[in-house]
Amino acid sequence: MKIRDRSAVPFHVIKAILLAILSVLCVLPFIMIISGSLTDNYTILKEGFSLFPRNITAEAYRTIFRSPDGILQAYKMNFYYTFMGTALGLLVITLTAYVISRKDFKYRNKVSFLIYFTTIFGGGMIPWYMMYTNVLGLRGTTLAIWFPALMSSFLVILMRTFITGSVPDAVVESAKIDGAGHWIIFWRIVLPVLGPGLATVGLFQALGYWNDWYRSSMFSTSSETWSLQFYLYDMVNSTLAMRQMAQNVSLNTADLPTQTVKLAMAVVATGPVLLFYPFVQRYFVSGITIGAVKG
Amino acid sequence: MNPSMTAAGRAAARAGRSGDRRKLAAMGLCALVILICFVPAFPWIRAVNTEALYGTMGLKASVAKKLSPDHSVLTFLSFVETSKQGILGFWSFLLLIVSAAAIILILAAGVTYAIRNRIAEGKGMLRACSFFQKGMIFSLAAAAGTAGLTIFANSHYGMTGFAAGWPVYAAGAAGACGYLVSKRIEKQEMILCREHGFIEEFRRNWVLFLFLVPCFVFFLINNYLPMTGIYFAFTQFNFRDHLFASPFVGFKNFEFLVRSEILHLTQNTILYNIVFIVIGNILQIFFAILISHVANKRMRKISQTMIFMPYFVSYVILRVLVFNMFEYEVGLVNNFITSMGMERIDFYNTPEYWPWLITAFFLWKNIGYGMVVYLATITGISTEYYEAAQIDGANIYQQIRYITVPLLKPTFIILLLYALGGIMKGQFELFYQLVGNNGTLFNATDIFDTYVYRITTTQPLSMGMGTAAGLFQSLFGFLVIMITNLCIKRRNPEYALF
Repeated sequence: MKIRDRSAVPFHVIKAILLAILSVLCVLPFIMIISGSLTDNYTILKEGFSLFPRNITAEAYRTIFRSPDGILQAYKMNFYYTFMGTALGLLVITLTAYVISRKDFKYRNKVSFLIYFTTIFGGGMIPWYMMYTNVLGLRGTTLAIWFPALMSSFLVILMRTFITGSVPDAVVESAKIDGAGHWIIFWRIVLPVLGPGLATVGLFQALGYWNDWYRSSMFSTSSETWSLQFYLYDMVNSTLAMRQMAQNVSLNTADLPTQTVKLAMAVVATGPVLLFYPFVQRYFVSGITIGAVKG
Repeated sequence: MNPSMTAAGRAAARAGRSGDRRKLAAMGLCALVILICFVPAFPWIRAVNTEALYGTMGLKASVAKKLSPDHSVLTFLSFVETSKQGILGFWSFLLLIVSAAAIILILAAGVTYAIRNRIAEGKGMLRACSFFQKGMIFSLAAAAGTAGLTIFANSHYGMTGFAAGWPVYAAGAAGACGYLVSKRIEKQEMILCREHGFIEEFRRNWVLFLFLVPCFVFFLINNYLPMTGIYFAFTQFNFRDHLFASPFVGFKNFEFLVRSEILHLTQNTILYNIVFIVIGNILQIFFAILISHVANKRMRKISQTMIFMPYFVSYVILRVLVFNMFEYEVGLVNNFITSMGMERIDFYNTPEYWPWLITAFFLWKNIGYGMVVYLATITGISTEYYEAAQIDGANIYQQIRYITVPLLKPTFIILLLYALGGIMKGQFELFYQLVGNNGTLFNATDIFDTYVYRITTTQPLSMGMGTAAGLFQSLFGFLVIMITNLCIKRRNPEYALF
């Protein structure tokens, strides 16, 4: 907008104000959590939470890392789930998206609809749970925690939109005339130009795995296989983890800085995601274009 | 599709084939035989040796008197229900679905055949054939399944208790004949329409089929096989008989749900979703437009990053956050309120606040994401439009109103359709983490997903009820999206989702 007219001045002022307010609102809670985790536990019990840290202390973090076994195990499992889910998921999503993006594939719309259908109709939670536990007997295994989220119809369709957007039909056609099969077209032509698509879908996938607590709560039989978020969830409900922590550092449960430890855990559990985000955001924000199911 | 041959040319080619009429008549006959077989009065499954059989089942005389020995495949479930033989339930439930599908497909084939000349590209006949073949396969499956059921039941009860009636053989034979005849018609039609069948497609694109294998396995395990579990909705679960053998109770679970929970669950779920969709989209579009007018690239990136940040927070952390803000004793908001000299508010015991809080935190978490989607569309709008408008003297409000907003419409419709597809699902994690097991808030905050999760984790015996609620939710959502999509397709096919 190079040409500025006068009537636009109030617009630009209001725009700046509103965006500033929204940005601050979006970030404030993070500040609250961080400053809470640095505040002295007794101060919180006496005066309540506030926006800025008072009586700054790293006690909460020290408590967490004095007996780091539980949290390190959860961290390890979380990295494992996120890695497996993202790597394998990205591969199978891309393969599927490639197939339904091919105009010369007769059943592409049928396959797309069958994939989309899973989001609008299903057996519900109980049959799904029974499938993994009673039928496949996966209760308590790590497979049950990463497998069920490997693909989602939304990500497949998102990836399909990326492929149709970044690989012109003419390129594929000419490759075909030169004798390239689908295998070569996929690995040599489509994948190399799919950077933004892989980054976006991969980030969604990784985020979903990193933040998952639901499958751990459904399929875990011991805290060995808990994901980080479920470990945190359990801690927030101050059950097992808190008690163990108190035992390990030989403190009374009452002396444990419970409030601030929860917040410190929240910081520790979110940290990697927020650190990772700036690196992929240039792909991520440049284009999430969502297309229809039919192609 | 086929420029070399006009529809009239195809019709002429069809008229030249003399054997077609006989084949079509044969297909019609097969369809008729199968449809007659499905008339409920005809016995697919007969109970023989009734006295000994009912004795083995341990039925009382009063119950046995009510049972008739002959049953159609469509009515056999009522036998299962009266005799409480849950062990036969799942199998007969599947048979019922397969038979219903066979009937529907045969009727669809008939209708398609009747209107074949009105279907585009002269493919009416092909479509009718494809429906017909599927109908035949399902009829065959129903016949084979019924035979299998009698064998299974006889071995289970250790006696010759059930026998297959004549419709089983008739439907099976007619299904096989019809399938073979329609294959030959289809072959001729495919040559006419320059289409190819599955085998030819597989030969050409087998690599693509190979690519689809993981996807197929995944969705089969994760989505399609569990769909058979819908059967639990019609059973009364108990630990002795376990899942597939618990007594079949028909629609009892649904009746209970309708009487007690369904109304307020549906109402809550839909209302929350409508509010999320409407306010969410308005705000997302609004801020996407605002941010697209930020000229300074760095400012733009910074605010975009900040607004997107909440999307990355897990719901568990949201729970911690909300608790810290709204807790009675030490919460930030109550601190603020008391410092202003007012009374503390007991948020966690007052349901009225929660619709607002849940909506607020939904928006907090999701504005950034939708904003980026809309922003991508806005960035794609050619600047020429705006330049032309400026030369014509349009001010910034007019540019937004007459250029940006109309061009966002396709994106909006797509997002809306995806959102409507999940209108009955909605945000389990958000509700569960914010409200948890806080019973005082349920009335205002219970949605289908939280209800199902709660009753199955706390009362294992209400498994049937939970599945019933899930099934209702699923069907309702399915209808909503189908109808909406159809309406949009009618008005403007380009915007339709599928």
